[in-house]
Amino acid sequence: MSETRYKLHWITAIIEVLKTAKEAILPIIVLVFANGLNDVGSGKWYLDYLSFIIFGVLIIAFFITGIIKWKRFEYWFEDNELRIEYGLFVKKKRYIPFDRIQSLDYTEGILHRPFKLVKVKVETAGSSSSKKSEAELTAITKEAASRIEMEIAQAKSGKKAILQENEVLTEIIQAVEEPLRKSVFTMSSKGLLILATTSGGIGIIFSGVGIFLSQFAEMIPFEWMYEEISGFIKFGLLIVAVVVFLGFVLVWGISVAMTFLAYYGFNVSLEKEDIVITRGLLEKKRMTVPLNRVQSVRIIENPIRQLFGYAAVAIDSAGGGGAEGAKINLFPLVKKADIYGPLKEIFPELILEEPTGKLPARGKRFFYRIDFLWMIPAIGAMTYFFFPYGLLSLLIVPVIVLFGLWQHRSVAYGISGNQLTMRFRNISLQTAFLMKNRIQSMEMKQSYFHKRKNVATIATNIKSGLSTFSAQVPHMEELEADQLLSWYEKNARI
Amino acid sequence: MREQPVNQISEKGLKVWRLYGIIETGFLLLGAIGAGVLSYIFEGPWWIYAVTPVLVIIFAYFFIYLFPKLRWMRWRYEVRESEIELQHGIFIVKRTLIPMVRVQHVDTAQGPILRKYNLAEITISTAATNHTIPALVMEEADELRSRISALARVAEEDV
Repeated sequence: MSETRYKLHWITAIIEVLKTAKEAILPIIVLVFANGLNDVGSGKWYLDYLSFIIFGVLIIAFFITGIIKWKRFEYWFEDNELRIEYGLFVKKKRYIPFDRIQSLDYTEGILHRPFKLVKVKVETAGSSSSKKSEAELTAITKEAASRIEMEIAQAKSGKKAILQENEVLTEIIQAVEEPLRKSVFTMSSKGLLILATTSGGIGIIFSGVGIFLSQFAEMIPFEWMYEEISGFIKFGLLIVAVVVFLGFVLVWGISVAMTFLAYYGFNVSLEKEDIVITRGLLEKKRMTVPLNRVQSVRIIENPIRQLFGYAAVAIDSAGGGGAEGAKINLFPLVKKADIYGPLKEIFPELILEEPTGKLPARGKRFFYRIDFLWMIPAIGAMTYFFFPYGLLSLLIVPVIVLFGLWQHRSVAYGISGNQLTMRFRNISLQTAFLMKNRIQSMEMKQSYFHKRKNVATIATNIKSGLSTFSAQVPHMEELEADQLLSWYEKNARI
Repeated sequence: MREQPVNQISEKGLKVWRLYGIIETGFLLLGAIGAGVLSYIFEGPWWIYAVTPVLVIIFAYFFIYLFPKLRWMRWRYEVRESEIELQHGIFIVKRTLIPMVRVQHVDTAQGPILRKYNLAEITISTAATNHTIPALVMEEADELRSRISALARVAEEDV
């Protein structure tokens, strides 16, 4: 039994410190400002500098805990398990059987780069907690990472060759390192640029700015600012508009840069039974998704990109991911015409036909009628309170109706063998390809009004990480909905 | 057209739902009395005395009489060899199909009120979804649980 215990690289301590510091930075800043700026000298030096002293002590404490955490962390292989021992005050042990390990995901941050290190996340089949992953090795050398991979591969193939000599070890490492790897999809720099410029990350940044500001709201001297701003407004609305616009451009620029960095060098390759996705410029990420864990394949077309003939492909994986599901961008941006080739290569059994089943015309009303429930009171209130101009709110009616009709026209579905294809639109058009043996349950919903018009909604539920992805074909022909249920009922095992 | 699932839930379930309705109405009544007292003390508008009782009565009608009845009439389930079928919903009728092969585990649960009526609810979990059949007679729920778990075991399969 080789029970050599391995440690993480010492850089772990620094990463740990930075991580803690990042989490604690806001409270610390608040503390320093609140304390350091208000007091006007009480005569005792240690009271004047209290906040700085606390600050200093905290930093030192972070360092010490970081170092202890690093010193305490050990991992080794025993009895076909990856065993980890860690903990600051309480010593914790975690044993993960190799059979349960689904994949190892690698991340190379800026700090990892100079030392040729990687962060390894161990993903297991069904981690019951909503924590991110079963185990995380913050920084180990690449050789150590491939040693883990090799141990797992060995245990899984059932071979239990005892390896003592290093030569054999390196030989096998090399053998493991160059398996049949086949690149399937690479994003061109043009594609990357389009992805970055049309990304929806803008909203995230806005909300980020919002959160950031709300944290500081108490510290911003609003009264002073109002005076300044009222002077500012006298400068003319033009300047205000320009500033706002520049602000938008700046935010957008940041979002473009962030997407660019995150998706730089995006590559998907096939390695035996796994899909391997690598991406990132500053922080290189490598993610492995076992093919048999893929629950669904979805083509997502956002309207703007659809206009230019681009789409994205995402998959849902049963393992990994948080509580919000494990949607993985397989092809973040791809010409629609180029989807089918690489997708076919990854999923040969997938039938990529255009779904032909359409919705009956009598179901149209259901796409917008329900919206009148909020539109009528809203329009009424607008008209009542802002009499002449409030009437303009009536303009929302045709918009909603047209949007509903658009949704109605977009929906499609089709069955080919054991595969169900569902296409529907929220704002983006989604086409989900679902295999029967991946559908966890199916539901037919029908309201009183549906029944009168003989239509029904079909919803299918798919496992995605720890949660559920639900695909719906709304307001379809009742008989067809029935047929979908019967299709699902028959031989669910296959 | 598909047949409705055959089994109905226990008639005592209806009683329990009525009881829930009575409890909820009780809380609303307390709120209404509170509003009345406040409006008396602070000389609020007179119509509060008129509106609150009407609200309580309407609420009581819906949540003690109508909804439990509709809900009970609608609720149906059927456990067949290879799938479980459920039907429920007052306004929107939902019919759910769960293949046995997808069932991961089955739970029964019993709160204090359900225990008083010797009832239990049974929850069927798949890898992605949970489905609950409310208000089954205890013995029936236990029997159903072991039957489902036996049937599901036959159809063992990875996710």
